Amino acid sequence: MPLYVEKKPDVLITEDGVRTDGRLPHEIRPIRMTVGILDKADGSAFIEWGGNRILTAVFGPREVHPKHLALPDKALIRTRYNMAPFSTPERKRPGPDRRSVELSKVIREAIKPAIFVENYPGSVIDIFVEVLRSDAGTRVAGVNAASLALANAGIAMRGLVAACAVGRVENFIICDPNHDEDMWGDADMPMAMLMESEKITLLQTDGPMTDEQFKEALEMGRRCIRFLYEMQKEALKRPYLIVERSVFEQGEV
Amino acid sequence: MGRWEAKLRLSEGTLLVKNREVVVPGQALAKGKFKPGKDVYVDNSGVLRAKKLGLADIKDNTISVVPLSGVYIPKEGDIVIGIISKISGSTIIVDIRSPYQGAIPIPRGRAVERVDMSKYDLHLGDVILAKVKTFDGSSSLLLTIDMEGLGKLEGGFILEVEPAKVPRVIGKRQSMLSILREKTKSEIIVGNNGRIWVRSPSLKELLALKKALRKIETESHVSGLSDRISSFLSEELSD
Repeated sequence: MPLYVEKKPDVLITEDGVRTDGRLPHEIRPIRMTVGILDKADGSAFIEWGGNRILTAVFGPREVHPKHLALPDKALIRTRYNMAPFSTPERKRPGPDRRSVELSKVIREAIKPAIFVENYPGSVIDIFVEVLRSDAGTRVAGVNAASLALANAGIAMRGLVAACAVGRVENFIICDPNHDEDMWGDADMPMAMLMESEKITLLQTDGPMTDEQFKEALEMGRRCIRFLYEMQKEALKRPYLIVERSVFEQGEV
Repeated sequence: MGRWEAKLRLSEGTLLVKNREVVVPGQALAKGKFKPGKDVYVDNSGVLRAKKLGLADIKDNTISVVPLSGVYIPKEGDIVIGIISKISGSTIIVDIRSPYQGAIPIPRGRAVERVDMSKYDLHLGDVILAKVKTFDGSSSLLLTIDMEGLGKLEGGFILEVEPAKVPRVIGKRQSMLSILREKTKSEIIVGNNGRIWVRSPSLKELLALKKALRKIETESHVSGLSDRISSFLSEELSD
C-alpha cells in the first residue's frame, strides 16, 4: 500500500472562478528567476515557480564526445531533463524513464529554433534541466530556465524562449495549472514561444477542448508568456545592474 | 511633426537602445538605415536584433553587440596560449580552451632546413604561444609556432579570464595591459583565448594581478574601468 495517498479536492474551482490555491483563472503562481549561479557551468539559471525548483546548466559550445555524433555544418544540441528522487511526493526511482526522455526531447525542440546552430559547426551544446522539487508545469519552467542559461552562456540566439502552461477546469480556462488542476483538471496545454517573432515552438495538449476554448487558451497562454519574457529580461540584466550600482556607491564614498 | 520630417526620420532609421546599454538576445536594437555589426542579425521585417547577451555598441551607422560571456571561437591571426594535449606521429595537438582543438604539423623533408626545429621539441603539458594560421570554421584548426616570439613558454604562471573579456584586459591601444604591466612589474602575455601568461617578481604581484583580473571580469560593463583598476592595484601593492 502506498504511504502517501493523494485526495482530489471537493471543489477544483468555485462558481466565481476561485481556484484551490486562491488564484483567479488568469493569475500565475509566484516566480523568481536567477542566472549565473553555477560556477563550473558556462551558463546557468535557477527558477522557482510555485512549488517548482529547477536548476539548469549549459555547457558549450564544446568538443563532441563521442566524435562521430558531431555534425559538420552545425552544433549538436543535447538536452537532459532529470527529476531528483526527492522531487516528488513518493520517491522517484533515479535515472531516465519514459517521461523524462520525452520531456528532454520536448524541451530540446522548444529551445533549438532559438539557437544559431550554424555558428558553431562540429561542436555540442549540452543543456541540463534538473528538477529538485516538482509542482506541476516543470517542462515549461524548464524551458524558461534553459533559455536563460543559454543566454547566460553567451550563445548566439535569435531570441529568448519563454513558456507557460494553460488548462481547463470545467468551463474555466486557467493559466499556469497547479498540482491539483494538473491531476484532476479537464485539459492541460503547455506552450512555448520564441519571443523575437512570437512563433510557437512548443504546443502539447492533454484533454478535450472546444474550438472556442482552445482559442481562448491559446490567447491566455500568449499573454502569460509575454509576462514571463519580461521577467526573463530582467533576470538576465539584474547581475550587471547590481555590479554597476555597487561600483557607483564605492565611488561616492 | 510634419510629413517631411516623418519621411526624413524613416529614411534615417530609428534607434531603440542607448549606447553601452545591456541587451538580451533577440532584443530589437534599431530599425531602418543602420548596418548590423558583430553579433547582430536582421530579422524578416528588417529590424536589427542582438544575437547575444551584451552591450550595445553604436558607431556611426553600425550597431554591434559586445558579448559579456561565451567560449573562445578561433579567428585567423589570433595569438593563443595552448597546452600540448597529444603528440601523434607528425602532428602536435594543442588544447586552446575552445570547442576546436589546434593542430601543429611537424615540418618534414625540405621544410626542415628553413625552420628552427628546436622549437618543435615539445612534450605533453608544455605551454606554448601560437598563432592561428588557418581555421575553416569547424574541424580543421591549424596553428603555427614558426615565427619570432612564438613557441614554448618557460616558467611563469597561467591565469585565466573569460574569453569575452580579453579585449577589456588589453584595453584601447593596450592601455589596460600597460597599466597591469607597469603596476605589477610583471611580464604579461595575453592570449585571445583568455589564457594569460605571467612572470612576476614575487607572489604578491601575482596575487594582486589575479584579483585585478577578477575585477576586470565582473566590472567590465561599467565605464571608468582603467582608473578603477589602476587605483586598485596601487592600493593592493602599497605596504
